[in-house]
Amino acid sequence: MPISPMDIYKLLPKTNCKKCGEMTCMSFAFKLLNKEKKLEDCKPLFEEKKYEKQKEKLIEILKPLEKAKETGLIVNEDLCNGCGNCVVACPVHVERDPHGAMIGKISSDDAILRIENGKVRVLNLEICRRYGKNRILCIVCRENCPTDAISFLEG
Amino acid sequence: MICTGCSCLCDDVEIRDGKILNACYRGYKVYSKLSENRARALVDRREVSVDDAIEKAVEILGQAKNPALYGFDTTTVEAQEVAVKIAEKLNAFIDDNSSFCLGEVVEAILKKDVPSTTLEDVRDQAYVIFYWGANPYSSAPRHMSKFTYYPRGMKRLKGYEDRFLVVVDVRRSETAKLAKKNAIFIKVESDDELVESFNLALEGKAGKYAKEVGTVITELKRSDFNAMFVGLGLKYGVRNLDGFFEMIRKINRVAKLYLIPSAFHSNMRGFNEVLFEKTGSINKFSFKEQRSDKLFAFTELLKRDEIDAVLLLGTDPLSSIPFEISKKIMRIKTVVVDPKMSLTAKIAKVVVPSAFSGFESSGTMVRSDGVRKRLEPIEEKEVNDLWILKKISEGL
Repeated sequence: MPISPMDIYKLLPKTNCKKCGEMTCMSFAFKLLNKEKKLEDCKPLFEEKKYEKQKEKLIEILKPLEKAKETGLIVNEDLCNGCGNCVVACPVHVERDPHGAMIGKISSDDAILRIENGKVRVLNLEICRRYGKNRILCIVCRENCPTDAISFLEG
Repeated sequence: MICTGCSCLCDDVEIRDGKILNACYRGYKVYSKLSENRARALVDRREVSVDDAIEKAVEILGQAKNPALYGFDTTTVEAQEVAVKIAEKLNAFIDDNSSFCLGEVVEAILKKDVPSTTLEDVRDQAYVIFYWGANPYSSAPRHMSKFTYYPRGMKRLKGYEDRFLVVVDVRRSETAKLAKKNAIFIKVESDDELVESFNLALEGKAGKYAKEVGTVITELKRSDFNAMFVGLGLKYGVRNLDGFFEMIRKINRVAKLYLIPSAFHSNMRGFNEVLFEKTGSINKFSFKEQRSDKLFAFTELLKRDEIDAVLLLGTDPLSSIPFEISKKIMRIKTVVVDPKMSLTAKIAKVVVPSAFSGFESSGTMVRSDGVRKRLEPIEEKEVNDLWILKKISEGL
């Protein structure tokens, strides 16, 4: 299930109290989704009793966040059958491994994804185009997964 | 190492720190379960030595009036050659799984009825990638990522962005789900209707699937190299495969389209080539009558109770052939040569334990497109298919 910042915002106190360091609750919701802030940073939510139910719901909603990698990548290994479409299609691999993943031979250690024991594993996340400040929301690996074993937080 | 899990024969599989890298889940499962449920040398379900089991096998086959040999799709070309020699010596029937698999397609390619090419050329040049009745996601998981749609090639520098994918199937398979941009998925009710639509379109008339066929033919004409991969869905979908090959030849008059069978057992094509070289037929062959016939298919022989002994190598008919037919195996004398204690091995008269070709024994195998690959086993076991068949051949 994709999580949108709006879903998070609806459950936040919406008072724009700025105790978390953000100007608005909406921007806090965005940063929460990008893993730049933690839910505990929202002080009123934990201190005031009237937000008790909302807090529980938020913790429930944000559970997939723990599974997701820094780029929002979620790999469901049960669905993966190791076809390697994601590894070969990845545009970063073309640049890094022109004689390997680029032509279908997937063997480099210098890759984002690799097939190990018949399942896709994340090796070097920091070279992904979705990583860091100047990220772009590339979805090539998800687009070419026949079983939706790869998904991203935003859907 | 070369993975012999399916007919792709992936050559970039590595074993490092106890992990198997680059192999798909199908290949990994074969490797990881290698030591489980291994066969033991048995005669009448009593444990004996391998030599005694082979001796008994020779006795059964030598005394049989109408013996048959069946299987051989997962073993090496060298072993298959010996198997054909044994069949010749015994005047026996010989058949493999291709009689109900993609045998006809391999035959048409070997007889040069339809043009075919290698997977390396497909990777380098092919524009339209056409899957008809095939779902490589389950039959050969790395087919698309290693050879056809995804990799970049000499003339296809952008990989899949430079290609056009056509998927024909009766349901929205995993492969069909990948037909998104620059692609078309044709959901058919009957494959015959689509063949007819192609024939009509080439004559300038409109059939049932006129719109889809029009798009496909336009795309085919855009390049001088296109490849079609056919699977079992086609074989059991069309009533007349010759009509389908005729359609391929007609298409080839307007645009170049090469035909390759998509996937089957690791060395089924090797068996077809070995028998074709020797006899001119690819399967269902009787050395007694020196001809191939539909009636000589292993399933037909069982149905008509024509054989009294059979040598099964690397196949498990009790679990792969409908039980109604395969239960008749219990009535005849069966010699099973297999690395695993398969269901058929459990009821067999003689079981000779063997090695896994590719993982435990070397040799040559033929990929689905006809390229020969030299196997690189992890370890070399002395008792392998070739050794056992040679011993049986000597004994006879």
